[in-house]
This record gives sequence, structure tokens and C-alpha cells, in this order.
Amino acid sequence: MKTRSFATVSAPTETPAARPLSERTRAVVSVALAVYLLGLLLTIVGNTGSGSSAVVRTVKGRLFAPWMVPPWLDLGFDYRLTYGMDDDADHSLEVRRQGAPNAAAVRLPGRLTGERAARWRRLARAMAAVDDADRDGLLAAAVGRGMFDELGAEDLIVSIVRTPLADRDGPPRSPATAYSARIRLVGGDVQLIRSEDRSELAPLVRPAAGAATEASR
Amino acid sequence: MSSRTTAGRATDRDTTETAAASGPAAALAAAWIQNCFTPTDSRPLAFVRIGTGAVALLLWWSYAADLQAWFGPAGVLPIDTVRQWRSPAAWSLFDWATTPLLVNVLFGGLGLVFVLLFVGLGTPVVAPLAAVLWASLLHRGPMLAGPADDCLSILLWCLAIGPAGEHFSIDRWLADRAGRPAPVLSNRAGIAQGLLQVHAAVIAAAAVLAQLKGDAWWNGLAAWYLAAGPQSRASGLMPLLADSEYLTNLFTHGITLFEILFAVGLWYAPTQHLVARVGLVGWPLLGLLAGEPLWGLTLALLALPCASQRRFPA
Repeated sequence: MKTRSFATVSAPTETPAARPLSERTRAVVSVALAVYLLGLLLTIVGNTGSGSSAVVRTVKGRLFAPWMVPPWLDLGFDYRLTYGMDDDADHSLEVRRQGAPNAAAVRLPGRLTGERAARWRRLARAMAAVDDADRDGLLAAAVGRGMFDELGAEDLIVSIVRTPLADRDGPPRSPATAYSARIRLVGGDVQLIRSEDRSELAPLVRPAAGAATEASR
Repeated sequence: MSSRTTAGRATDRDTTETAAASGPAAALAAAWIQNCFTPTDSRPLAFVRIGTGAVALLLWWSYAADLQAWFGPAGVLPIDTVRQWRSPAAWSLFDWATTPLLVNVLFGGLGLVFVLLFVGLGTPVVAPLAAVLWASLLHRGPMLAGPADDCLSILLWCLAIGPAGEHFSIDRWLADRAGRPAPVLSNRAGIAQGLLQVHAAVIAAAAVLAQLKGDAWWNGLAAWYLAAGPQSRASGLMPLLADSEYLTNLFTHGITLFEILFAVGLWYAPTQHLVARVGLVGWPLLGLLAGEPLWGLTLALLALPCASQRRFPA
């Protein structure tokens, strides 16, 4: 049986061509494409993980974002895949009732797999990686409020558990809490109390007797 | 350039002669005209449409089970919170879906549109509708979106520009039954496939630039971390990579080299076919390693037109 390559199938020689575009149409399309490609360049420069300059932010924000954001075209494509750091670790969401450490907890993605699990992981990572004061606690409060019915309580602990990537040479590292907050309903309002990681707090300084003597001289 | 007619070849010759006569600026203009305005066969675009429809349905399905848990009136991502989170310029049709029924109807409508895109029915209307509805879904929960979602958005907009339903579609079957003439080489197909080519190269370049800011891509250990990642489909490689640091380094530097060669090679006639065809295999494999298999598939789809016909004779 005679076979044809993909290139041959896709490139017949006898197909007639459409009428070439007029000069005016070419000019209009060229301008539209040039503007879009400039926007594409600015979205890449303006959406990197390293931040962007004020001039890029301003030009992109005022001239391009209004028409590139709605169609989901304001993208940086900075797909680093991994740096092998904490941000790349497995993040999972854990919600349980306050004051009931042994009560059943909701863990997501848990045993879910595939793209569905990846979406829960992205949500957990977004909650743990907030470096913007306006957004801090926003998602945790929303997730907690959304879980009140599921867990039958109005006082919950929302945590993000980070399981570090295995080191190639070192021993496996154990999971750690990357973010934790108490979310409760008080008088109809959602209240968020952030739990600080003890390792991030300064140790209590108690001057030793010798040091005190030294200082008093 | 076997895909082009006598008229197309005449355009090529004219633009090349103009370029030779008038220097670099004219050469750039000629290349621009040749890349964007040469009527092109829309068959590769039809293959992209079918692949995009399949990937779109998989990504759509990944929302289905948790739809109400995320976007329902009592979900974990209420509209007010998402509005504060996302860009002020963003909007979503799902913002108006304030009841579980409306959320389901909109979401079901998007699934139906993706099915129609896959089979190629009403493609000129369905393709832009799919792009608008997909962007709306992503804006309803931007913190859930990943790289495959971004690239699908690009694919859908490119399909909205080109005549993606002219071949291998129900539209074509209906047109044949009605006795309408066969499709001609299309100007819009040339523009759409040119945009696919631009995005394939730009995404590869942006990815490699982002990667090279991290130590793991310089010390050669990134491949290990990719295989060790929570979503990786290549964790079976870990014993092999643990045994040999050189192999880990080779994998890492090989990925970087592949991305650079892909981004650059797409623009030169002698290498275009080769790198695009390597991309058809390489991107899905990288997607599996990185735990983003659908992202790998979308990048392979962006490369598909260049793998099937030469688009930019440098």
C-alpha cells in the first residue's frame, strides 16, 4: 500500500490560492500585528519573577493591560519548571477544627491526581507565597469560610503544608507548615488570626550573669 | 515550498528581490510580508484544532469535580475575593453566575463548545467563543491556572483568527455534501500559523530565560528536582539520576539546549522542520518530566504547523 508522509498530505501542490490581500488590508493587519507583538514583548518583560521596572509597568498597565488582560493574553511565560527551592516543593491544604487536633481534617489534594490535583496545589502555593500586604490572608479567609459547612464548625485552622523536594545527596526532609491561620466567624464577620512560625520569632534574650557583670562596668 | 502556488512563489521571488535591492530594513519588511501574507494551506491548522480541542476537553474536565467547591455560591473562591486578587482589568462571564445552576450551565456550555471545536462544527463561531469562555473561566479563579491553561488560551485565539474548520471537520463534510468548492490557500491561515510560530518561539525563549535565573539550571541538578517533583510522571528516573551526577547534568543541560535551539531554530529554513519535529516529541516528554503533561502537549501543538510545512524561508 502506498503511503504518504505528513508533509505531503499537508502540502498539496494543486491547491489554488486565495486572492492576495490589498495593500490597505496588509497595512491594517501589519499595524495590528505589530501592536500585538509589542504588547507580547511587554507582557513578557513585565511579568517575570524578577519584577519589572516602573516604566514597563506603567506602559503595559495603561496601554496594553486593558485589552490584553481580559482575553488572558497578559502572560509572562516564565515557566522556570523548578529551581529546586521551597517554592517548588509539594504544597497541600489542610483544614481542621480549632481545638480538635484529632478531629478529621480536610486535606487537598490528598489522593487526587493529575490536573485536578495540580489546581489544588496551585491554590495552596498561592496561599503560602503571598508577598503582597493587600492579598495576605485573603485566600485563607475565603477558604476557611468556604469550609465552615463542610466541617460543621465556625472556628477552623487553615494550614499549608510544604513537603520539600528530595535532595539528591542528603537525607529526606520532613514536611513543615508554611502557613497557618485561625479562621472564625465572629458576629457574622470572618476573623483571621495568623499563626506565626516559632522559628521566625526572635528568641527571648535573658542576659547571663557574666554578661550582666560585663555590661555594668 | 511545495504548499504554495505559482502566485505564492511569485510573491516570494518579488519580496526576495526587493530585499536584496534595498538592504536590511527592506529585507525585514519582505520577511514580514512573506511570513504573514503568503496564502497558506489550512490543513495544519485543522490538525492544531483537533489537538487543541482534545487538550481543552481534558483541562475543562479537570475543573468539573470541584466546580461548585471553587466557584459555587458557598465555594472557597467567592467572587469578591477573586476580584480583589486578580488584575483590575480582568472580568469573567462566570462573575454573573451567582447560583449553582448558572455556574453549571456556563461550564457545561464551555464543554459543549470544546466538543464542537474538536469535531469542527460551526468553527468560525465556535473558535472565538471557546477563547472568550476559556478566558472567562480562568479569570474566575486565576490562582488555579497553570502553564497548560495559558498556552491553551494562545492556541484558541490563533484558531479564532485562522480558518481552522476548513479540513477534517463536520463543516467540511457539510460543505462537500452541499457541493461547495474545496478550500483555497488562505491568507488568514498564513497569519494564524505565523502567530503560532511566533508564540512557540517566544514561549520557549521566555521559559529558558526564567530557568537560567535559577542555580539548579547551572549546577545541573534541575532534572533531579523535576523528577522529584510532586506531579512528575518520571519519578522512575530517580534511581538512575541518583546513581550518576553526570547523567543528571546531561539531562538538565539537554533541556536547556533543546529550548534554546527550538526558540532560535524555528526561524531558519534549514533547521525549522527539524526543530519543530523534535519539538513534537521533546515538549511532551519535558511536560511529563515536569509534571505538566498537558503543557507539553500544547507546546507541541504550537510547533505543529512548522513541522508540517516550511513557513519562514530565511
